Formats: sequence, C-alpha cells, structure tokens
Amino acid sequence: MTTDSTPLLEVEDISVRFGALLALNRVSLTIPRGEIAAIIGPNGAGKTTLLNCVSGFYHPYEGAIRFAGRDRTRLRPPEVAALGIARTFQNVALFRGMSVLDNIMTGRILRMRGSFLLDALWWGPARRQELEHRAFVERIIDFLEIQAIRKTSAGRLPYGLQKRVELARALAAEPQLLLLDEPMAGMNVEEKEDMCRFILDVNGEFGTTIALIEHDMGVVMDISDHVVVLDYGRKIADGPPEQVRKDEAVLDAYLGVAHD
Amino acid sequence: MTDVLWGVFVGPFKDMAGSPTFLAEVLIGGVAAGLMYSLVALGFVLIFKASGVFNFAQGVMVLFAALTLVGLLERGVPVPVALVLTTVVMIGLAFGIERMVLRPLVNQPAIILFMATIGLNFFLEGFGETLWGSNVKRLDIGIPDESFMVAGILVNKLELTAALTAGVLVAILAVFFQRTRIGRALRAVADDHEAALSIGIPLKTIWVVVWSVAGIVAIVAGVMWGAKSGVQFSLSLVALKALPVLILGGFESVPGAIVGGLIIGVGEKVGEVYWGPLVGGAIENWFAYVLALAFLLVRPQGLFGEKIIERV
Repeated sequence: MTTDSTPLLEVEDISVRFGALLALNRVSLTIPRGEIAAIIGPNGAGKTTLLNCVSGFYHPYEGAIRFAGRDRTRLRPPEVAALGIARTFQNVALFRGMSVLDNIMTGRILRMRGSFLLDALWWGPARRQELEHRAFVERIIDFLEIQAIRKTSAGRLPYGLQKRVELARALAAEPQLLLLDEPMAGMNVEEKEDMCRFILDVNGEFGTTIALIEHDMGVVMDISDHVVVLDYGRKIADGPPEQVRKDEAVLDAYLGVAHD
Repeated sequence: MTDVLWGVFVGPFKDMAGSPTFLAEVLIGGVAAGLMYSLVALGFVLIFKASGVFNFAQGVMVLFAALTLVGLLERGVPVPVALVLTTVVMIGLAFGIERMVLRPLVNQPAIILFMATIGLNFFLEGFGETLWGSNVKRLDIGIPDESFMVAGILVNKLELTAALTAGVLVAILAVFFQRTRIGRALRAVADDHEAALSIGIPLKTIWVVVWSVAGIVAIVAGVMWGAKSGVQFSLSLVALKALPVLILGGFESVPGAIVGGLIIGVGEKVGEVYWGPLVGGAIENWFAYVLALAFLLVRPQGLFGEKIIERV
C-alpha cells in the first residue's frame, strides 16, 4: 500500500477556527519523502497553526491529514509522536531543569521497551537498553557539536544553543518527519549558518523529511526544495523557491499591498 | 551564665552518654516519627515532580483515605477487603481529578493548578465528612498500641509497624522513580507539558499513575497516623509537618523527603527530651519550622533540590 511514491505528508483542505477567527482556510499541501519544505508567510498567517494540526495539538474542523498514505487527522500528540513525527517549538520547549543529556534522552522514550521491574533493578536487558540508547544519543550530540554542554542544565544555556538541543531531542526519536517551528529565530548570522548546515545534514544523512517555518527569506530560498506561502489562513503560493520568489501574490503579501 | 552554657553544651551530652538505652529509645522514637513525616511528604513530592504543582489537598487526601477506611470497617467490612476497596476509591479519585481538574488546565501556569488543588481540598473535606460523618473515629487495624523490650530498649509495636511500613514503601517508590524511565518522563512532564506531549509522553496516563500512587501513599499515612491519634479533621494537619520536611529535602527529591523526615523526626525528639527542660519544653512543636526557616535563608532549594538559577 505504502510505496515510496506516496507522499509522506498530505494535508487536504483543512480549516481551523478560533472563535470568529478563521486561522486556516481550506489549506492543502503535500510533502514528498526526503524533501525540505518551508512554510512562510507574514505574522499571523497560520503557519504555526498548520504545524500544530500536523502534530496533533489542534484538530481541524474540516479536511484531512494523511501521513504515509493513512488518515491521521484526529490523533493526539503522543500518538503522532509514536508515528514518527517529531517537532520543535517556536518558543523553545525544553525541560529546563534537566541536563542537556537527559533532555535528549527523553527523545528516546518511545523507543524504550521492557518492564519497569527490570528497569528498577537496573539489571540485564534494562541496563543494556539504557546503554544502547545512551550510545545513540551520544552520536546525535557529536553530530550537532554540543559535546561541551552535555551536563549543563538546559535552562542555563543561551538561546541559540537551546534551539540546537531542542533539535537534538527531536532527532533522538529518529523521526520520519521533522517539524521545525522557526528554528533560526533570534539567532545571529553565525548560529543561523550552523543551523542551516545541521538541517541540510540531517536531511542528507538520515533522509529525514523536514517541514520548517522560517522568516529569513535568504535561508528559506537556500535550503528548501519547496516553499508554501500562507497569508490570512489561505495558501497563496506553492512551488520551488525560485518560482515562489517571483510570485505576484507573494510579493503583495510581503510588501503590504492592500487586500480588497 | 555558666549554668546556661552548661545546660546547652555539656549537660545534654552527659545525659546521653549516661544512659545509652534511653538515648536509643529516643532515637528510635525519632526515626519512627520521621518516617511518618516522610510518608506524607512523599505524597507531595510525587505530585510536584509530575506536574510541577504543589498539591494543597495532600493532607485532606490522607484524611479522606482514613475516613473511607474507617467508614468501611464500621460497616463490618473485613480489614483486607476494606483496604482493597479504599485503594480502589483512591485510584478512582485519581481518574476523577485527572478528568475534571488537570485535563481542562493543561498548559496553565502552576499557580492556577495550585488554586485548583485548594478547591479540591475543600471539596474532599466536605465530601468525606458528608459521606462518613465528622465525629472522631477510632481506627483499629489489629496492631496493639503497646510496647515490648528488645535488649533493654522499650519499643512501641504500633510505631515499629508504622516505621517499617513507611520505610518499605519509601524504598520501593524511591527505586521506582529514580531508576525507571518513568522517573525521567515524570520530570519531563513537570517541566513542560507541551514538549512532553510532543515527544510521545501520554500526559493523562502519567497523571493518573502519579495521583493514584499519591492516593495509596495517603492511605498508608492515614492508617498509620489514624491508628495513633484517631481519625478526625486534625489528621489533615499532618500535612503541615510535611512542609518543613519538603523545605529541608527539596520539593522534587524522593531521597530528600526521606532524609528530611528523619532529620526532623530525630531532631525534634532529641531536642525535646534533652534540651526541652532548658526552655520549658514544647520544642517538638516548633523545631521543624525553625529548622525550615533556617534552610530557607541558607539553602532555599533544600538538601537535594535543584539549584535555583534565574537568568536575567
């Protein structure tokens, strides 16, 4: 049933309403496997709402979301995570009291198996399992170059590093689809360059499909295969970056031409 | 002046050395009382770890559990059956709290959840007394409140049973939450609900588990304290003694609750017996709070708590 030609994520005509505000108005998009897709648009366009629908925090009142060909519209966040969708948050949602290492280890929670009794005795398979997961997490730590802050508690890190740790936690789950909500917001040029490199490397080395929200046009045009533009809850453009860049509607939305 | 200095620094130690068996009795009494405090404090720690919420209703949960048990016993239900039924009631309560209090308040600030537990406190108090009546009840679980001698040391049977039970329960919980991956999940949930959900931790399940365990801890605490001093409203005030324990041990540390309870239990007994006469007694009533105050000034995160660092 599921072949490689089935797009990993299909969003079909979804709408979300908050009171009188129509946050998403029949938005559709398709993300093929292995792609980096960017979702852009002015503030309040509905980008984060769209991401929240995919990760199960909101449920659209109409339309459907399909993941790997199967309907996933009404799943709750933990179920979505179990399917292999990981995400980061716009305002960094790390476990601030825990060390960086523990934060990233929580990303492995869904992959841990076995009885609590064995865990408690720290014996045999339980111990082996913890060590295996630990080894995997160490690889991610190396990959994202955060060895030096392993034992630091997450709340004490500067913002740019917190974003990186959040990415590490998402990667620890070995997701098929990675949702990044403004991974570069508030970063300086150097940090942005690093983050771009990591995103491209994740996509290249693990084949992870990535959907990201970003405001920095330069970044978006550089790293994405495919750009979706939202404005006032509607999709106004969808295509390769070079095509979207020239799109009339997009220019209007960004340059503030009056909407009639 | 020398009398006072003698009374503070020399006399008590001379007394201790003079009668080691009596000192042992005092210490045992202190450890027993301390473990009972730990037991109540543990209920707070579990819920604080899992939801970042200070559960104002913990003391009343102890009362409610004891009331339910006594109520069942009074109606002729045998002890083991009554214990099982009370456990069922407390687990049911956990489901109810998750459904009606916690779930609607996901992602609200901790203070809102704290206010909700104050409401819960009043509800449980009223509900328990409506259901089972508000007069003082005797709780008899078949362990006599009498003493026996071991190697010349007088030991109270009820206290010993309570201390052993508390010790075993505390040990099991400590291992469970420190060693298993549930421990990590718990801390994650306490730190950030949204993020915990996004990595696949089912919040509902964690909450029900934690509140159920807190409910079971409340039963044990209720039985032990109730057997000692009767089941009545003042039982919910044992929670007040748990506060200094928490301040000493740190709000999110299971070992902290144990060590804190022991320090306070032993400290107040030894203080009362040996230094009490110096200040006219009643050290037992304020020792815990003065110690907690000192800790707040010097080490506000407690012995085992995480260091509080505020980035500005």
